[in-house]
Amino acid sequence: MVFLGGQVLPGNVGRAILGPFADQRAVDALNHTLGVDRPLLTQYWSWISNFVQGDMGTSYIFRSPVAPFVMDALGNSMKLALVAFVLVVPIGILGGVIAALNLNRPLDRIISLGGLSVTVLPEFVTGIILILIFGVWLRWLPISAAWPKDAGFFTQIYYLILPSLPLFLVLFGYIARMARSGMIEALDSDYTRTAVLKGLPWRTVIWRHVLRNALLPTITVIATQTGYLIGGLVVIETLFRYQGIGSLIFTAARGKDFPMLESGILTIGIVYAVATLVADFLYSVLNPRIRLGTDQ
Amino acid sequence: MIKNYRILDLIRRGRSPLENHLIDGLVDGRVSRRDFIRHGSLLGLSLPLLGGISTAAGFGMMPSLARAQGAPGATIRVASSVPAATIDPVTIADAGGLLVMQQVAEFLCVDGPDLVLQPALAESWKPNDNGTIWTFKLRKGVKFHSGGEMKADDVVASIDRLADPANSSNALSVFTGILQKGATKKVDDYTVEFHLDAPNGNFPYMVSSDNYNAVIVPASYKGDYEKSFDGTGPFKIEKYTAKVGASFVRNEDYWGPKALPDRTEFTFFTDVQPMILALQGGQVDIINQMPVLAGVALLNDPSVDIISLKSSAHQQLHMRCDDGPLKDARVRRAIALCLDRDKLAAGLMKGRSALGNDSPFAAVYPSTDTSIPQRKQDIAQAKQLMEAAGVGSGFKITLTTERYLEIPEYAQLIQSWVKAIGIELELNILDQGAYYGDAVFGKSNWLDSVMGITDYGHRGVPNVYLAAPLKSDGTWNAAHFKNKDYDTLATSYIAALDLEAQKATAGKIQSLLLEETPVIFGYFYDYLTATVKGVAGVQPTAMSQLFLDKASKA
Repeated sequence: MVFLGGQVLPGNVGRAILGPFADQRAVDALNHTLGVDRPLLTQYWSWISNFVQGDMGTSYIFRSPVAPFVMDALGNSMKLALVAFVLVVPIGILGGVIAALNLNRPLDRIISLGGLSVTVLPEFVTGIILILIFGVWLRWLPISAAWPKDAGFFTQIYYLILPSLPLFLVLFGYIARMARSGMIEALDSDYTRTAVLKGLPWRTVIWRHVLRNALLPTITVIATQTGYLIGGLVVIETLFRYQGIGSLIFTAARGKDFPMLESGILTIGIVYAVATLVADFLYSVLNPRIRLGTDQ
Repeated sequence: MIKNYRILDLIRRGRSPLENHLIDGLVDGRVSRRDFIRHGSLLGLSLPLLGGISTAAGFGMMPSLARAQGAPGATIRVASSVPAATIDPVTIADAGGLLVMQQVAEFLCVDGPDLVLQPALAESWKPNDNGTIWTFKLRKGVKFHSGGEMKADDVVASIDRLADPANSSNALSVFTGILQKGATKKVDDYTVEFHLDAPNGNFPYMVSSDNYNAVIVPASYKGDYEKSFDGTGPFKIEKYTAKVGASFVRNEDYWGPKALPDRTEFTFFTDVQPMILALQGGQVDIINQMPVLAGVALLNDPSVDIISLKSSAHQQLHMRCDDGPLKDARVRRAIALCLDRDKLAAGLMKGRSALGNDSPFAAVYPSTDTSIPQRKQDIAQAKQLMEAAGVGSGFKITLTTERYLEIPEYAQLIQSWVKAIGIELELNILDQGAYYGDAVFGKSNWLDSVMGITDYGHRGVPNVYLAAPLKSDGTWNAAHFKNKDYDTLATSYIAALDLEAQKATAGKIQSLLLEETPVIFGYFYDYLTATVKGVAGVQPTAMSQLFLDKASKA
């Protein structure tokens, strides 16, 4: 689908590389060198047969193997996603829990409405505001996420704080709302009432009975956001000059660099599938009914 | 102005008739000193000699080209656009890539500020009588970073490689009809002759930095430039990481004065806004190329210096001359008369542009005939022309263009202005890939649209603008303009070696294009480079090159 979709776009690889003002003979010569003047089926078969053998092919644009580009970009995206998750998951869940425990009180409204407000702000708006505050005015954090060569673990984390903040703002409200509604439902359930009537301490009721059930839908939400955090951050990656897989795919699409584009998209597809699998696994861990294969 | 005829006579003795004619023009006041310097540099006269003639002709000393020497040892950090493809002198086509390549590799001559050609790997050059053969004398003792001496064989191989249609050369569109493969000939180790297809009075620009592929690399070059980054430049590659950045260190074996900075670092950005934030956040020292609208915040920032170069870069608004209501030249003139060019220059371009007069002859060119009256907004006359053309009640038409720089805003202004004469302009603003398409007739919104706006980068001479978009057989003739008189004039201009002959032909071309108006040239925008205060000695060119060998930091 990606391959065919790319073919209907105007222009061709040689033209994308040499530009609109290049001589047509030069464009034809380059297309021939790259092999993109071969029949589409031949090109596709060549790529897919190599891919299944672990060879992602050679980039038309960079004239070097695709795999290192994709793996580096994927690794970078995963690092950024991890930092964003580490920030947003506990804080988002905590916010939701606090909101639910203070239902309809001012604290609940602040968390719910505040979360909703920041969630709808586009990343490029919050990103620029955060850069202006922390990067330009205060100069506390580097505004580019590309860390210096040979940077250690903590230096890399330091460079990722600022780009992960807009992601935090986008996801916080979402996760907090899901945690809140899960909590409200769980708090209102029969098993919670039973646990309270049994005389269990309030803390035990929350930890053992409420949270475990309340977080099930939140985990699903978090898992579905994994794909977005790893593959859909083109705006953030552009703004913070970060070499993630989103910007890699975007660049490849613009340059009609099909080996790079197809390999990048397929890799993100694999990440989505793995993330969904992990979510299912966690769901079953937290919900014995699923683990036992029954809905009783 | 006291003229020293004794010295002038002495200088004249060794000069060709063409050179003497230029000197006479200066002495008689037909050629300004600025135009004398620029055209003299084109003919291969050295800058000291040009200065000497200028002094003897009573114009006083030339301003020194040498800049104040800053402190050595700095690391200069540059924000650059991401190279769009692998860096290869033959194929490279984008600003980010050529900026990196230009740090290590050099040209025969450099089209500097004010379009004065300055010697680099060639020490001098001169044409034969009719401009069909240009002879370049190469500098001796120039070494490639890999060790060998740069000689005529390297020049012949480098230029032949670019002129060969089988090599995917991005310079082929420059050399087509001018220089073929095999026409660059070695005379001896330090002399090269270019045998041209036709007389060409501006040829040195085609092998200067004006043709950004024309860097000289070893004759043995076989591709994979990113593995060697071999060249003769004042900097050598330290590290290159595709899509991320590049760094360079001083070349201690450089043929000229050694570079002042110890290192330079280039950080690649995919968008200009992060570049601006990086400059404001202290993470880079220079933004090599800054579009005026995107960089408004920096234009009046006291912590930033703006280097503003007058250029011939512009947005061409083409109108199809072969079909529909625009077929009538009166309608095209009427549309051109709707533009308020002063507002374009002062408002849209924030004062960082020069007015256009609907021909490619920008004010920066010494050959431009400045006596041709500037076209101004005149709605009453435009209405009369519409009436005379039988479309007084107006019509509806589509303007197709690319989403790039200030073009969408320019299109909206035109849309608003032409309403005054009853034209309802529908805008079709496309992504650049969709606009250019396959860039051949029949498969390109650019070349097939009824009206369109296309960005054209700077050129040191107007040859390319005169030929490809305007000649009857021009490969970029989006206006489908076919005019035999124009073709003859353009060919004549390109062949002329003499500045006054060029100027006379330019005047005729300017008048013809004002009458026909196949393309509206509304303004020529300045090339802007931003540096933080304290960075000195930076020399950009309007071709996106950046010379940092004299750069320093306070």
